[in-house]
Amino acid sequence: MSGPFRLEGGAVDRSRSLSFCFDGRPMTGHPGDTLASALLAGGVRLVGRSFKYHRPRGVFTAGSEEPSALVELRSGAHREPNTRATVAELFDGLEAFSQNYRGSLRWDLLAANDLIAPFLSAGFYYKTFMWPKSFWERVYEPAIRASAGLGRLSGEADPDCYDKGFLHCDLLVIGAGPAGLAAALAAGRSGARVILADEDFVMGGRLNAETHEVDGRPGAAWAADAVRELASMERVRAMPRTTVIGAWDHGIYGALERRTDHLAAGGGKPRQILWRIYSRRAILAAGATERPIAFGANDRPGIMLAGAVRAYANRFAVGAGRRVGLFTNNDDGWRTAADLVARGVPVAAVIDVRDRAPVAEVPGARILMGSRVTTTRGRRGLKGVTLANGEKLALDCLAVSGGWNPNVHLTCHHGGRPVWRDGIAAFVPGADLPGGMAVAGAAGGAFTAAAALAGGHRAAVEALGALGLPAVAGDPPGAGDEASDGVPFWHVRESRGRAWLDLQNDVTVKDVVQSHGEGFRSVEHLKRYTTLGMATDQGKTANVAALAILAEQSGKSIAETGTTMFRPPYTPVPIGAFAGRSRGREFRPTRLTPSHDWAERRGAVFVDAGMWLRAQWFPRAGETHWRESVDREVRQTRGSVGICDVTTLGKIDIQGRDAQEFLNRIYSNGFATLAVGKVRYGLMLREDGIAYDDGTTARLGENHFVMTTTTVNAVPVFRNMEFARQCLWPGLDVHLISVTEQWAQFAVAGPNSRELLRKIVDPEHDISNEAFPFMACGEVGVRGGTPARLFRISFSGELAYEIAVPARYGEALMEALMAAGEAFDAVAYGTEALGVMRIEKGHAAANELNGQTTARMLGLQRMVSKKKDCIGNVLSERPELNREDGLKLMGFKPLDPEEQLAAGAHFLAPGAAAETANDEGWMTSVAYSPMLGTSIGLGFIRRGHARIGETVRAWDALRGADIPVEIVSPHFYDPEGGLLRG
Amino acid sequence: MLIDHPLLGPRDAAEFVILGDAGLIDRPDWQAEDAARLFHDYQHLRDNPAGGHRELWFHEQGDRSWLVVTRNTVTHEIVKVELARDVAIARERDR
Amino acid sequence: MADPALAPRFPLGGYRRTIGGIALAEPAGLALVSAAVPQGGDEDFAAALAGGFGAVRPGTGDSTPGDRHAARVLGMQPDQVFILFEPPDPDRAAETVAAALGSSAYVTDQSDSWAMLTVAGAGVRAALERICPLDLADEAFPAGRVARTVMEYLAVIILRDGTDSFLLMSPRSSARSFLHAVELSVANASE
Repeated sequence: MSGPFRLEGGAVDRSRSLSFCFDGRPMTGHPGDTLASALLAGGVRLVGRSFKYHRPRGVFTAGSEEPSALVELRSGAHREPNTRATVAELFDGLEAFSQNYRGSLRWDLLAANDLIAPFLSAGFYYKTFMWPKSFWERVYEPAIRASAGLGRLSGEADPDCYDKGFLHCDLLVIGAGPAGLAAALAAGRSGARVILADEDFVMGGRLNAETHEVDGRPGAAWAADAVRELASMERVRAMPRTTVIGAWDHGIYGALERRTDHLAAGGGKPRQILWRIYSRRAILAAGATERPIAFGANDRPGIMLAGAVRAYANRFAVGAGRRVGLFTNNDDGWRTAADLVARGVPVAAVIDVRDRAPVAEVPGARILMGSRVTTTRGRRGLKGVTLANGEKLALDCLAVSGGWNPNVHLTCHHGGRPVWRDGIAAFVPGADLPGGMAVAGAAGGAFTAAAALAGGHRAAVEALGALGLPAVAGDPPGAGDEASDGVPFWHVRESRGRAWLDLQNDVTVKDVVQSHGEGFRSVEHLKRYTTLGMATDQGKTANVAALAILAEQSGKSIAETGTTMFRPPYTPVPIGAFAGRSRGREFRPTRLTPSHDWAERRGAVFVDAGMWLRAQWFPRAGETHWRESVDREVRQTRGSVGICDVTTLGKIDIQGRDAQEFLNRIYSNGFATLAVGKVRYGLMLREDGIAYDDGTTARLGENHFVMTTTTVNAVPVFRNMEFARQCLWPGLDVHLISVTEQWAQFAVAGPNSRELLRKIVDPEHDISNEAFPFMACGEVGVRGGTPARLFRISFSGELAYEIAVPARYGEALMEALMAAGEAFDAVAYGTEALGVMRIEKGHAAANELNGQTTARMLGLQRMVSKKKDCIGNVLSERPELNREDGLKLMGFKPLDPEEQLAAGAHFLAPGAAAETANDEGWMTSVAYSPMLGTSIGLGFIRRGHARIGETVRAWDALRGADIPVEIVSPHFYDPEGGLLRG
Repeated sequence: MLIDHPLLGPRDAAEFVILGDAGLIDRPDWQAEDAARLFHDYQHLRDNPAGGHRELWFHEQGDRSWLVVTRNTVTHEIVKVELARDVAIARERDR
Repeated sequence: MADPALAPRFPLGGYRRTIGGIALAEPAGLALVSAAVPQGGDEDFAAALAGGFGAVRPGTGDSTPGDRHAARVLGMQPDQVFILFEPPDPDRAAETVAAALGSSAYVTDQSDSWAMLTVAGAGVRAALERICPLDLADEAFPAGRVARTVMEYLAVIILRDGTDSFLLMSPRSSARSFLHAVELSVANASE
């Protein structure tokens, strides 16, 4: 027997003993215990301190609605705060710590807050912490931050891994109590694909906590048999320890499955799995949650919900006290007295607010009908209560029942509002349910076992019928249909001392009254002003009573007052579970170029370009700064030959009888005259006339083109072209497919590029200047017939080519080019040198095509043909985009060659004040030019084309720079283009 | 959300990218008298209904079809899904 | 002395591993070529497919076998199929298809675009349900069904080619991320 309060029977496995620690104190329990039941068995009642006033608190419930018994579970990096002891499965070696105190749990220094409670009532922080102003940052805020929150995070990275998953079913049954089990059995026996999920580690719901009989057997035994039968059905998936956290669109539900939280160690497997469940129909059989009655000092350790007290007795074999009292407004609460007596736990008193005959006989108890509790005593644990007539009773446990609230939460997730049902004095689901969802059992307000079983069965048969599946379900299981009378009774008016409503956020009846008095009268305002219902328990044991009191204050009915709604998740979900595998380097997939491994072996420094890793530069031994490497790569390429992997640029294969016409409509410039064997630079506009991507398109055959795009726009360009193909011009015969991955592509640039390529391209292909001029393209063979494509295009301004081979040969080609290039001192160059060279040449790239700029601003207005329709043509002619004094892309050089320019600087006339009205443009791209020996930049400036030679200032307040610059042509290097055509 | 693809059956919205109002199919004639105004309206003016909405979705991580989805923006109920190409042809865009 | 020919590398380096009873392997020697059907060319294409590969044209989402080159034709899009086959010359896969289909189709090689991985074993669906949003139950995804979807942010083509066997294909550049995603699913789902 583990613990002085352990009883006989129950569902715990006494043959095994589990050791655990609470606040450093070693204790024992059994498999089948929760941390809460084991603590109660061991006589531990003080379990935590409340949020605001630091009042001593104990276990209040036996379920996930627990507001008070929040502990830090485990230690080190695995420590998880705010864990509800009532749902934490006990395991051998479990370590738990109470939370939210300074000093010790028994002697919490912050309990002083309770003494100044009158100053800390609802909304106090809207009225304080304002004076003196300077105190906010230095005194108030740090103090509030230190005392905020309940538990503490470990501060270390979450050491567990999490997973996600996707499940499909005909019927999702949410909750495995009597209604859910009956539904799953009916559907499972009919051969439907069923998923049955329950947050508990043993399925059965209230049947495991009560003494009802089903089909003539104890409810818990019937439930266990049902679970066994369901386990034998191949098309049924039973998921214990799985909380359905929310209802999303179209029958999609989220569910969090706890896989290893009940084990001492996870064995490297995912701790939890966040499932996405696609259901054709769903049954919400989530049961109901009991609510208390509010009275003075109703928050002491030992005051618990009546249903929880009998759950501890019946399921966990734990007596919650030795002198138990019951305070109730309904018949159901009396079951606790009966069950306790049956198990040998003394019941000292039954206090029923109703003026009527006693519901039953309770041997050994004083029956007090028409009576009420007004206050209690016992700071760290209940010692006694005071009744309205002044009489005092000595009790160490008070079981309170104020009725039951159907768990309607998931029905609200699509905006449906619950409706008030007077008969049970509770909210039930409204008519507007999420599509495909039905409600059965206590969740729908059907509180008896018989009604739950029949309701679940019927809901399953109806769901199968709606799906056109045959139902061979038979009859529902039978049980008692005991009526349970009750009266709405929310709080004791004669209470002495504060009466608590929301135990987790420390909100009292007085706070609700005050909120109403200050004008916060709608339920939404009440919630936010008092914070009632906003804690981690979503106010599951507090909301309805608060609404009832608000209704009283306003003189309205509860139905008129309404209720706030619920959003996912139903219970807290670790952020790690939402992240799944997307953490750290695995946040997104990584895309590697065909020459990646080669570049890595060469010691390249890599940069993230979207999901790609690209070589940024290739440092050589002895180089200590990136500029050394990049300057060398530029000089060497321009001086001899350089090779760069450009596979990442988008490549789209375009074929069809109307491919050329299609290209003519997509690009702003004309493609009607592009001949086979030629490449053309193309500019794409958005429909609003803004320049958005550029690239080259090569004509490989009569009806065969290959388009390149920028790396970052590969996906959007393809998407937009498919839109044009399918939606704008569906009559054109044109077909697109991405070949970005298919071809490894390398730029070979510099005066020796042709000679280098002659050592790679098979000799039967003539690549002389005459046979293969600037902007030629063709299919060639390399190294003995390996298929390749050669394009004579240049991004750098040098004599240059791009050579492509099927990606499987990419690395080998890079090696071959570098080996053949040794004779020319060939250099591998990365994205930095690529950038420097294109800036030296004056090529626009992403910084210039930033979504605000037009062809005219880029100096490419002649590339927008007026003789044909193309995307963006019409709106590119809008007057504001064509002003004479509009921005133009120009080059900029500092007057002092030692100065370093910065992109993002704005241009001002000499002497002009740094104000928006004087802003003449901005610097888009900057690089140190090894060829010119100075920093250079590209940028947009008003009327730039007419101002060459003028001096302006590049003003950069962010970096504290104000540099005089000369406006020059953007084509710094080889402006005539002679090198390209050599 | 699930989109019931006319050829493939229900697929998670995560496989799709949304563009916007299906009116984008009706691209104006560049040679019309008032082409500038037509294109301006086409590009910039939208209704924003709380209720039924016809919109264009691209099955980017699927079969690359563009679809016209008729969806209620308040309840997310999808009442119709068509191949956008069929809609475009029906609206005589096959010039 | 002739310069050496270029040596090919494969996206997963010939990977082969069994984890928890599930065999993962990179298949060797398969070509993948796309064939797009010209407007108004459905009849010609069907005839060419039958003549050139001995295969019936599949609908979108289905695949059909051919009796030449161990081919399987995958219905990827309303107007496009992928032909998965064993090419006589891997460097001329697109040419082989073009020769077989003539002018009835626009042909593009995709053999190097996709990393391929077969996964087979009794627990394969339990592993795939960790990353695959599609319903892979027998009634929803029987042998021969093919789909393109997204798994862990990766584009994946999935083909069921047996009771407990699937071929997965994902873009070559993210092959390592793809392999890791599948391996981890198999490991996580195993006992």
